[in-house]
Amino acid sequence: MKNVKREALGVKRGFVPLGMLAMMMLVPLTSACAGDLALGDPRQMTFKPVEFTPPEPDRVVLENGMVVYLLEDHELPLISMTATMRTGSWLDPADKIGLASLTGSIMRTGGGGGLSSEQVDEELEQFAGDVGISIGRQSGSASLDVLSKDLKRGLQIFAGLIRTPAFEPARVELAKLQAIEGIRRRQDNPGSIVGREFVKLLYGADHPTARESTIGSITRLTKDDLVAFHRKTVHPNGMILGVTGDFDKSAMLTLLREVFSDWKKGEVPVLTIADVPQDQTAKPVVRFVNKETSQTHLRIGHLSIKEQDPDYVALAIANDILGGSSFRSRLFNDVRTKRGLAYSVGSRLNSGVHDQGVWLMRAETKLPSTQEVITRFVANMERMRTELVTDNELAEAKEAYVNSFVFSFASSSAIVGRLIELEYDGLPKDFLQQLRARVIALTKEEILAAAKKHFNPERLTVVAVGAGEALPKLLSGFGEVKEIKLVPEG
Amino acid sequence: MTTESFLVSREAYLAKRSIRRNTDVKRPGWLLSVQFLALPTLHASRFTVFLLATALSLSLNLNLSHAASFGLADRVVEQKLTNGLTILMVERHQTPVVSLNMTFGVGGVNEQVGQTGLAHLYEHMAFKGTRTVGTKNYEKERPILEEWYRVGTDLEQRQRELARRSVERPASPEDRAVIEGLQKRFTELQEKAGQFVAGNEMALLYQRHGGVGLNAATGKDLTRYMISLPANRLPLWAALEADRMAHPVLREFYKERGVVMEERRMRNDDSPNGLLFETFTSAAFRAHPYGIPTIGWESDILSLTPADTEAFFKAYYGPGNATIAIVGDINPKDVMTLIEQTFGKISAAPPQPAIVTVEPAQRGERRVEVEFDAEPSVAIGFHKPALGHPDDYVFDVIDAVLSDGLTSRLYADLVREKRIAAWVASDSNYPGVRAPNLFVLSATPLAPHTTAEVEVAIYAELERLKTEPVSAKELEKVLNNLDADLVRALRSNGGLASQLALFQTVAGDWRYALKARDKIAAVTPAGIQRVAAEYFTKSNRTVATLVKKASEKNGATSPQHEVAR
Repeated sequence: MKNVKREALGVKRGFVPLGMLAMMMLVPLTSACAGDLALGDPRQMTFKPVEFTPPEPDRVVLENGMVVYLLEDHELPLISMTATMRTGSWLDPADKIGLASLTGSIMRTGGGGGLSSEQVDEELEQFAGDVGISIGRQSGSASLDVLSKDLKRGLQIFAGLIRTPAFEPARVELAKLQAIEGIRRRQDNPGSIVGREFVKLLYGADHPTARESTIGSITRLTKDDLVAFHRKTVHPNGMILGVTGDFDKSAMLTLLREVFSDWKKGEVPVLTIADVPQDQTAKPVVRFVNKETSQTHLRIGHLSIKEQDPDYVALAIANDILGGSSFRSRLFNDVRTKRGLAYSVGSRLNSGVHDQGVWLMRAETKLPSTQEVITRFVANMERMRTELVTDNELAEAKEAYVNSFVFSFASSSAIVGRLIELEYDGLPKDFLQQLRARVIALTKEEILAAAKKHFNPERLTVVAVGAGEALPKLLSGFGEVKEIKLVPEG
Repeated sequence: MTTESFLVSREAYLAKRSIRRNTDVKRPGWLLSVQFLALPTLHASRFTVFLLATALSLSLNLNLSHAASFGLADRVVEQKLTNGLTILMVERHQTPVVSLNMTFGVGGVNEQVGQTGLAHLYEHMAFKGTRTVGTKNYEKERPILEEWYRVGTDLEQRQRELARRSVERPASPEDRAVIEGLQKRFTELQEKAGQFVAGNEMALLYQRHGGVGLNAATGKDLTRYMISLPANRLPLWAALEADRMAHPVLREFYKERGVVMEERRMRNDDSPNGLLFETFTSAAFRAHPYGIPTIGWESDILSLTPADTEAFFKAYYGPGNATIAIVGDINPKDVMTLIEQTFGKISAAPPQPAIVTVEPAQRGERRVEVEFDAEPSVAIGFHKPALGHPDDYVFDVIDAVLSDGLTSRLYADLVREKRIAAWVASDSNYPGVRAPNLFVLSATPLAPHTTAEVEVAIYAELERLKTEPVSAKELEKVLNNLDADLVRALRSNGGLASQLALFQTVAGDWRYALKARDKIAAVTPAGIQRVAAEYFTKSNRTVATLVKKASEKNGATSPQHEVAR
């Protein structure tokens, strides 16, 4: 249960210019005074740009193809490393959904590198070393976090678990039981139900991005399956390792070579995820799930573009203004601030490089205001499609983005992590810098064009979880309503 | 990457530390559990860049003592203004950013019966601006706001009164006419007031200037306001926050109260874990306000008035009740000049009223059930002393021995060996720290095993603590992890600011953490046996179980009491 499900990609990346020299702010420099308190009206304040040159990590490729990023940071006696691995549940065979995820969790808990699972746990916890391994949909991730004095032993254990995990049968059995218990509990929380059903409707329940393990698929998995999956997909030439903290670079490279350089190259799987056929996504869909709740838990949206799409920046800013930027956004102001109908409300554009993105609006609201919230969603979406955003909205979006740039350099591990993601996704090193330049140059007209093209009212999927007696009527104005009947598992 | 995995993975990333700790379930009402997420789960947009570390959860288990060797004790600059405001500063110049944490020593414990949820509602209202910010013209807005809130309060009183006596004496046409008249006036005034509102302007200013992690949280003992900014934006922060400490204006009151009701539904009513812990906590405390949910009871939230909220602010938000921690690329001298110019102009306030209620000793086991359409789980709590009591440090050790990591006793026994639980956790300071609190154990059984079997196994481990000395190796592990944790806690500006302000507020001294480490190091096996025997008794415990209830046809609990405003 504990095992962290980490889909590393897409999580950490913001718009970060890499290796940039200085960050320029949009606001000119003046000064402010007067008002009730001594500093004057905060609305009139302006500031100089913050200038900052972030440190540049080193990139080294080991003989077996493993890529290593290193960045020294001696403030604290800590070292952390994260390996991003070219594996993932997109590789699960159709009858063995859950294989990748279980493999990742037992790489961590099942012993390895010549040590039993108990030895690994005892030793790591005795010196307060943290190791995490998990395999998500599009990548695997392994991390080590130790006091610098424990580096050598920590690294040996870490490398052992990655290279030669033991998959001890008792730990395999335990992880399967925990996975099954997790499946049994999937329907406990309305928020979990609405999210999963929404994604399954968009991609189709068998699509690699949406499909879920079942008690049957987990029960069928054997230790041999895990061993084979690991052998087939985890290779040094499919791995990018980021190392940050209190170490000396050349000494670190020597240590890394000691534990990794005799690991032979393998055939790295190619990450390809099929698009959903057009005809499957063309129609409006309205579904509800009957659950005894006080609120209606809502998701409304459709599939969207990938990050490489030329419209991505314009659409992302359109979404930011519509509902992506909390306090600043139209949905927050309309549905929450002005109407008081939801605590959590907004929209998201989740685009990646490898599969189609999702654009969605979401809220939780008491049953009687369900219709009003959906109506407001649709109206705000329509407004984005038919009217230019205001000069102020555009300026706010740009300033918020440019001025918060500096936070992408808040830690060495953030700097290294972003480089790794870009490389994993096959994006240029200066990809984020390019995006930033395009944000600054973006016009209202481009935003309108992107909204018109990519917010599609005629193909909205609506999923609502809540009171089954009342929902069909409340939803009937938005399309033909059908029920998703949940079958209890286990 | 899918929509929901995006969310899950983001949280997983932030909760990286929980891998070892084996606790990734958020328990409502936990110390510092965020009761108000100003930026909820929606900021996953790639256009918003975050200071990831500010979201790392901190617990009292993390303390700062070992940090002494990295110079923390020397690096904290402590200042106190004559009006009582405490300032803690740490210079860190790696990146030109700064994290600010303003913590007030007020929370759910300071509420009166009938006004639960008030501390949290005020925290929401604190984002509505001041006489300067959030308004288009305060002079014109003010009289409208005043009349609107008088009408609203009158209207709601009459409606409640009518509802109370509706059975024996239904509303007369005159009654209805009065209500309708007030309602009409209410709506007019609401609209009129709305024309003066510059919506969410304070948040907007922070965002435009590159602020990230804007948030606030209300707990039992404290309320906190957080933001991180490019370092040269400190004057903006000082102007906004001093203004908000001196002259907040409560705008859009009734709509925001509606938002809080939705928050209550989401966190407590529709969440099995939320409802379990709300019920558990109120069963464990009969007298002390720790038993009241911080978010408030539904009927109370809906009865809160603008006047109550204003009065709460006046009683508890004086500068003497606040600590500001500032960590980042700063020059403390310059910061103090800025703070003197702004916060320094705020008058001192009288001390807040003391809480006199003491929870009476528990005289017998309490058991409660919560029926929910969800799989079972269990929470067990034992009353124990507050922060600073000698036994409190012993509980910190017990907590780690029982549930910290894959080698902890409860995980090894219940999850790995017996395979009767999927997950088990403990916490030594629930739901607050300033008053005597609870040591809590919680677990989810692994089907087909039951909460009853899990309870039996947990009690066996507690008995073992009484009868068998904890090994030297286990104690060494606890201390090693404590020391490492407190080094890790220094990694982020936001995390460090949070810890400094926390301990200054709840212990009266940010050095508490430094001192606690040595107290924890001094805990002996005999001490653990004594404490276990004294507190882990049947009569001192409260047990709450989540019981599966099948979905019913008529189940929808639509809100009965809330009138649209």
